[in-house]
Amino acid sequence: GQAESDPSSASDKKVVLLPCKNPPNREHVCQWLEAKKQYECLQKWRRDTGLL
Amino acid sequence: MTTLTRQDINFGQVVADILCEFLEVAIHLILYVREVYPSGIFQKRKKYNVPVQMSCHPELNQYIQDTLHCVKPLIEKNDAEKVVVVIMDKEHHPVERFVFEISQPTLLSISSDTLLSHVEQLLRAFILKISVCDAVLNSNPPGCSFTVLVHTRDAATRNMEKVQVIKDFPWIVADEQEVHMQEPRLIPLKTMTSDIVKMQLYVEERAQKT
Repeated sequence: GQAESDPSSASDKKVVLLPCKNPPNREHVCQWLEAKKQYECLQKWRRDTGLL
Repeated sequence: MTTLTRQDINFGQVVADILCEFLEVAIHLILYVREVYPSGIFQKRKKYNVPVQMSCHPELNQYIQDTLHCVKPLIEKNDAEKVVVVIMDKEHHPVERFVFEISQPTLLSISSDTLLSHVEQLLRAFILKISVCDAVLNSNPPGCSFTVLVHTRDAATRNMEKVQVIKDFPWIVADEQEVHMQEPRLIPLKTMTSDIVKMQLYVEERAQKT
């Protein structure tokens, strides 16, 4: 059809894009959260015992 | 009342800044409300004068920022028709799609003293609707992930090429299964009409989530 032979309309066609990279997965985030909690616990213990 | 074109005071850039800031808050809140990530990574903040939940996970925050950095040039040129936050199940099939439909007027009639506070008030209503949307949606299956889609035109994609390279954050054309959902339930959440942008938010929810 005319649309196919017209380069301007071809370049104007609608497209849907998404990032090639994936966001961090849930398991990875859960591990990070657990490590953060342990670190905060350790810091609190150090403060409470006067080591910090 | 003044009439401005999109070229005056680089209006496209102002609109893109406002919308991207809003979309960042909205994405964080959607991920919290729909339990895509554990609630422990979210902290309460105040945006648009209402409490919201924002992630404190550095990698996730960077991902959301990089995504919006790439979307911003499209919004600036009025080339982003829709920005969609898609929540997917373990098999990467969409279960929910939060669709932000955006349109900007070519000619602007604005009263600058009331403009920003008015827009902020309208955006606040979107945030409040997102924060309670779990009441009208069914629970998602465990192990969901998310992505962000942008609906644009082929010719406009060159506007985002430079920032993709700078950020090392390439974009690709979505597959059919990522874009469409079979017989979704449509839930309108909010619409706004302001001098600088019109926007509506609705959710498409898959009928059978499990």
